[in-house]
Amino acid sequence: MLEVKQVTKSFGDIVALKDVSFKVDDGEFVFITGQSGAGKTTLLRLILRDLVPNEGEILFDGVDISKLPKKKVPKLRQNIGVIFQDFKVLNDQTVRENVEIALAVVGLPRQEWEARVDHVLQLVGLSERADLFPSQLSGGELQRVSMARALVVNPKIILADEPTGNLDWETADKIMDLFEKINKEGKTILMATHHKLIIDKMKKRVIELKAGTVLRSDKETKSDEANVKSDSHEAKKQKTNN
Amino acid sequence: MSIHLKTAWGHIRRVPFQALAAIFVLSITFFVITVISVLTYASGKALQYFETRPQIIAFLKDEATPEEVTSLEESLRSDVRISDVNYISKEEALEIYKKATSDNPLLSELVSPSIFPASLELSLVDLSFAEDVINEVKKLEIVDQVGFTASLGGEDTLTDVVNRLRTITWYIRIGGGAFAILLASTSFLVLIVIIGMRMTTRRGEVEILDLIGATPGFIRTPIILEAVIYSLIGVLVGWLLAFLLVLYATPTIISYFGEIPVLPRDTLQLFMLFGIILGGEFLMGLILALSGSILAVSRVKTR
Repeated sequence: MLEVKQVTKSFGDIVALKDVSFKVDDGEFVFITGQSGAGKTTLLRLILRDLVPNEGEILFDGVDISKLPKKKVPKLRQNIGVIFQDFKVLNDQTVRENVEIALAVVGLPRQEWEARVDHVLQLVGLSERADLFPSQLSGGELQRVSMARALVVNPKIILADEPTGNLDWETADKIMDLFEKINKEGKTILMATHHKLIIDKMKKRVIELKAGTVLRSDKETKSDEANVKSDSHEAKKQKTNN
Repeated sequence: MSIHLKTAWGHIRRVPFQALAAIFVLSITFFVITVISVLTYASGKALQYFETRPQIIAFLKDEATPEEVTSLEESLRSDVRISDVNYISKEEALEIYKKATSDNPLLSELVSPSIFPASLELSLVDLSFAEDVINEVKKLEIVDQVGFTASLGGEDTLTDVVNRLRTITWYIRIGGGAFAILLASTSFLVLIVIIGMRMTTRRGEVEILDLIGATPGFIRTPIILEAVIYSLIGVLVGWLLAFLLVLYATPTIISYFGEIPVLPRDTLQLFMLFGIILGGEFLMGLILALSGSILAVSRVKTR
């Protein structure tokens, strides 16, 4: 489904990603992890064609999206569900309208909207809150709106950039249960997170980035202990230095 | 309601004062444009009235036979300098006299058709031909005398009237047109500023829509629709105000100008005139809104 081949992306002198390669199969749930600045968000933005790599290829269903003409980018994005750390919901629209807008974007006939929206709102547990505005919702609920909007168009893949970053552990856990449920329904999920506890709990494939390079890309069910220790050692070291 | 129209309406409701400012400026513009259009129409009609009314009257001798009169009429009609020829019989001349002296019936009671000469009224294509035509007609055997629009008081007067009217019409057309362009430009700039502001305040929304796969057309449509709504409301309000003003003033205008048809006397024709103006203004408003909003959107996008 998705193949990233020797991708390099730099911003001026700063190299955000260097020679990154990996492959994601249909129905996989993959975590992209690494410290802040490791290149997780840059990688997701490249897949979304929000950025163009300096080198390498990104094949999505066999098509190199880095060479996609600009006018074909909206079509690509309509096949990708995106979930952001800061939710990115439209504040002046209700929950239902926020989800409907994605259907309007893909041009689905209006008569099909209600059933689809009802289905995803039920899936994310927001049926009761469909007519509320974002300002009336909690952080967890806002993230569910974002998920519902991503899911409603039945995308081929879901990209989630730190979806639990702004949530407390309990809420984050519930959101992850939801992601698991969605993945079990056959959706491919690529999630950037630095939340070790979540990665450990979910037992999914992990691609670890460090300073823009792939440190590890395996199908382990757990982030390896050595890495956790090394990270906590680094964190302690940093704390001492500060 | 389409999602774009709903979004556009939502934007208008959220910032009512910006919307009011845009509609107000556009209303003033189209009010002035409607008034200028009516003035241009009226001045054109007045000019046409004076230009096409009989400018030369050839009084015929009593002994002129109908055949001679018909032959002269035909030869004048074939003259390229003459736009219209109208035969006035003695009886018709009396009727005209009676009408002209209707406020004093005693004057018309004392006269009979026999004292009025039959005549041929000539309208010229251009007043510069007047002298030549008068001289030629004077030489004709069946013509007794030639008058040059006596009702207006002499040769120079009609030329003066027409020239003055031409100048006024020119001023109305050029001055009014320049003023209308100035106002339309102001409206255009106001639309650009307001749509530009809207684009800036909607930057976050535009970014979200872009990331979820909205096409540039999908993103721009509500913004362009918003400008179109402002423009069409502005056209309607401006036109309606001018229409009501003209309707209110029509009886006074018609009685003041008398037989000069500066405005259509028939209600249906008056409505048709305003309908045409409204149609033209809708088109102009649409062009103004589309060009202004597209320019504003592209400017913000390239910033």
